[in-house]
Amino acid sequence: MERGLFKPKSRVFIGYLALPVLWYVFVVVMPLILALRYSLYDWSGGPRMRFVGLSNYAELIKDTDFWLSFKNNVIITLLCIVGQIGIAFVLAALMTTRVLKFKEFHRTVIFLPVVLSAVVIGFIWTLMYNQQIGILNWVLRAIGLESLIKPWLDDPKIVIYSVSVPLIWQYIGFYLVILMASLQSIPKEIFEAAEIDGADGFKRTIYIILPLLADTLKVSVMLCIAGNMKVFDHIYVMTGGGPGKSSMVMAQYAYNNSFIMFKLGYGSTISVGILILSLAIILLSRKLMGGRTQ
Amino acid sequence: MKSSRLIKRILAIIVIFGLVLSLAACKKKAAEQPQQSSQNKNIEEKITLTFTHMFTNDGSAISDGFYNALNEYKKAHPNVTIKQEALSHDTYETKIKTLAAGGELPDVFVIKGSMVDPFYNNGQIAPLNDALDSDMAWKNSFVEGAFDDFKRGDKILGIPIQVQPTSLIFYNREIFKEAGINEFPKDWNEFKDAVKKLKAKGYIPITAGNKGKWLVESCILSTLGDRFTGTDWFVSVRDRKGAKFTDPEFVNALRAIDELVKMKAFNSDINSLDNNQQRTLYYNKKAAMFFEGGWAISLVTNEAPKDVLDATELAIIPPVPGGKGLPNTVSGGAGWAFQINAKLDGSKKNAALALLKALSSDAYSRPMLEKGGFPATKVTNYDESKLSTLAKKYQQLAKNIKYVPVYDVQLSPGVIEVMNSGLQDMIIGTITPEKLAQKIQQEYEREASK
Repeated sequence: MERGLFKPKSRVFIGYLALPVLWYVFVVVMPLILALRYSLYDWSGGPRMRFVGLSNYAELIKDTDFWLSFKNNVIITLLCIVGQIGIAFVLAALMTTRVLKFKEFHRTVIFLPVVLSAVVIGFIWTLMYNQQIGILNWVLRAIGLESLIKPWLDDPKIVIYSVSVPLIWQYIGFYLVILMASLQSIPKEIFEAAEIDGADGFKRTIYIILPLLADTLKVSVMLCIAGNMKVFDHIYVMTGGGPGKSSMVMAQYAYNNSFIMFKLGYGSTISVGILILSLAIILLSRKLMGGRTQ
Repeated sequence: MKSSRLIKRILAIIVIFGLVLSLAACKKKAAEQPQQSSQNKNIEEKITLTFTHMFTNDGSAISDGFYNALNEYKKAHPNVTIKQEALSHDTYETKIKTLAAGGELPDVFVIKGSMVDPFYNNGQIAPLNDALDSDMAWKNSFVEGAFDDFKRGDKILGIPIQVQPTSLIFYNREIFKEAGINEFPKDWNEFKDAVKKLKAKGYIPITAGNKGKWLVESCILSTLGDRFTGTDWFVSVRDRKGAKFTDPEFVNALRAIDELVKMKAFNSDINSLDNNQQRTLYYNKKAAMFFEGGWAISLVTNEAPKDVLDATELAIIPPVPGGKGLPNTVSGGAGWAFQINAKLDGSKKNAALALLKALSSDAYSRPMLEKGGFPATKVTNYDESKLSTLAKKYQQLAKNIKYVPVYDVQLSPGVIEVMNSGLQDMIIGTITPEKLAQKIQQEYEREASK
């Protein structure tokens, strides 16, 4: 009886978990298995399927467009790790100081974009980048920096950076909340002691906050990699992978193959490829960061 | 012991759940039963057709005709309930492909010419020859070439929703005059001169919005390519009879576009504007002309400022020196067609076929034509005074026009995707016309080898 108060019986656990687990199996595991199966077929949708074994995978390995989109994914991921987590960290550190006023307000404003739909954000930023009516060029013109004006979403050399900016902007709030939560669990005494010892501002950030947040930062980096390996909707709305293939990402490439070129078999192969590559990169990053420290 | 009790409980829950569901189903059936017996007395049974389409009630020419015909059909067939789902054009395309992939196509729907092959090969649509042949008056009411995009051999795999050009040049007569061009260029070299003159006057010669990737191919290359290659080349490519995308004629067509790009004939943000945004520059008198299909006629009529509208004239791409194509052709055709699910049979199929018939009747075509649309059937008794000025100008031009195929309607989706994104690549200068032609040819051969 007493034991039951603290630890419910296992059947209660199973009972509560059954539905979500079933749901998870249905929406995540099943599609995954189906994708694995489809990736072995030449399939244009519909009842006619032709088994081709691993030849889709052989094609994927030789597919330069796929590797180009993988490269773009990696660029976006790196930019987002630096941009999202970096900026969120700086902001979180600022939030612990007394210099910053209206912290509630700032937190809300920074978090707001997180809850907006990616499609809306993509659309808004397309308008902002617009050459004729976009606010970005208008601002540049107004402050006399006309020479910096570029066709932001048309130049293949910069388009990948242009599409990363809204992505970074949107999710700063997300990482800010994670880091803030972790910061608040640091005992106040440590900061007070640091202040007495004369460690303020920059020093405090480097010697106290950074090491204490290391684990949270690692988790954030992993979340960031996982999120950006499958980035799709922003790119879809802003450029559709264009111009040409210069802002193509893997998910967009899978979508194009499946639903524009009617190659659902190959599209599934690409999604399996995305899965493998993301897992590989996450494992690699864990190795690089030294895994769990405890 | 514990676990077996647990399993029993789970089983019990499942059984109860199943019972409840089947009870509900029984109830429904029981409710339907008497209705059905009374229907048998009335001969006409109740039929429900699902209909997914892309005609949002937006007051465009085609949607006016569509809803007019649909209402008449509903009046004539009170026993048929139509469950509609109306989506915008781009969303519709994605949705119908997804439904097809899942094998869940609605009873009646709209398909694009390029979807015919995958759908037909998967047994999701069937030829409509029998239905058309049993009603010759219906079959003969269509304009010449209306079925071209949906014919595979003798099989007709769709009832065209409209037949329209995809490549017209809308130009501002006043701006042309200002640049010293009093007449629309008679051949391609004159056209390039005109571009230079317009450029010198500070205008954007051609405004274009190729974000959707299809505009340059559908509205420019399909016709320009025909000027260079002639239609026989295209037919040979389509039917895989020997012609290649690397043939010099086709490469020359790509070069011609490349040349325009290098002359800076287009606005610099061509790949980030869509076809609706491209016209803004024209309306603001910053650009002298743009290339778009027949659908733009009613759009320009509704949207353009009055002075721009009055100065707007229509033309087609002029002949190119040494080209093999005829000078009076324009890429065009039906593009989209109505089709029914191959699974339908019996009275449900008849009701669906009757719906297709209604959607190519006068009730469909007349309101469309009068609003400046392009019905696929011959319309005789329409009110000419209802036509807009621009539509009248088009009727004049159309007298001499012959349609040639639009690339993206008749070639396979894979080849088109490579061509369309390749054109974007070429416009931003990351690929040469020769390389692009090779890339298209590669995809084309890869598909043949499968």
